[in-house]
Amino acid sequence: MSHLMLMVIHAALIGAFFSLLWRRQWKAQLFLFLKIFLGLSLGAVALGWLMYFFPSGPPAPLP
Amino acid sequence: MKGSPETDAVAASDGSDEQEIGGEPIGRPWLAALLAWLVPGAGHIYLRRRARGVIFFGIVLVTMFIGCLLDGRLYSTFAGHPLVIAASLGSLGAGVPYFLLLAIGYAGVPLAAGYEYGTTFLITGGLMNLLLVLDAWDISTGRKP
Repeated sequence: MSHLMLMVIHAALIGAFFSLLWRRQWKAQLFLFLKIFLGLSLGAVALGWLMYFFPSGPPAPLP
Repeated sequence: MKGSPETDAVAASDGSDEQEIGGEPIGRPWLAALLAWLVPGAGHIYLRRRARGVIFFGIVLVTMFIGCLLDGRLYSTFAGHPLVIAASLGSLGAGVPYFLLLAIGYAGVPLAAGYEYGTTFLITGGLMNLLLVLDAWDISTGRKP
């Protein structure tokens, strides 16, 4: 399973959990789920793109 | 504890449906918290939130199951580096599933491709259940409807 898919599944589980924990009506739950899910998924992708400007450099020497 | 007029106003104006801050005390808080810790969702079922309890049970169990499928590490060391202890406490939050995994000798496979991801899933499952313990306590004491 790809890393991206694992991240999406994790975001979906987190979103489902907190939307059910913090909201009582299904419309509010759905709205919060979408906010958390899209925030985590798209935020991580955006952060990944931003890391382009900060290259990791050469690998660290083995001890 | 019932919310103040200010907190009621904030809750009503933030676009959420949580206009009702408190509720009636129900059940025994310690029993609800203990059940919630032992079996994910059981505290909510005890407090007559059956549908929520079942869904919470599913979410926590699926999270931990994926963690096991990925061969993540199940932290069980309560000494040494503070972060390791914190991870162990987080995983311990899952209750009976955590002890079941320990009983069958599950520890994770450090060389597996999904090791780090699986560890994240396992700790997340435990931390979710810790939040469910607090939620069950709040519902039982009437702080949350």
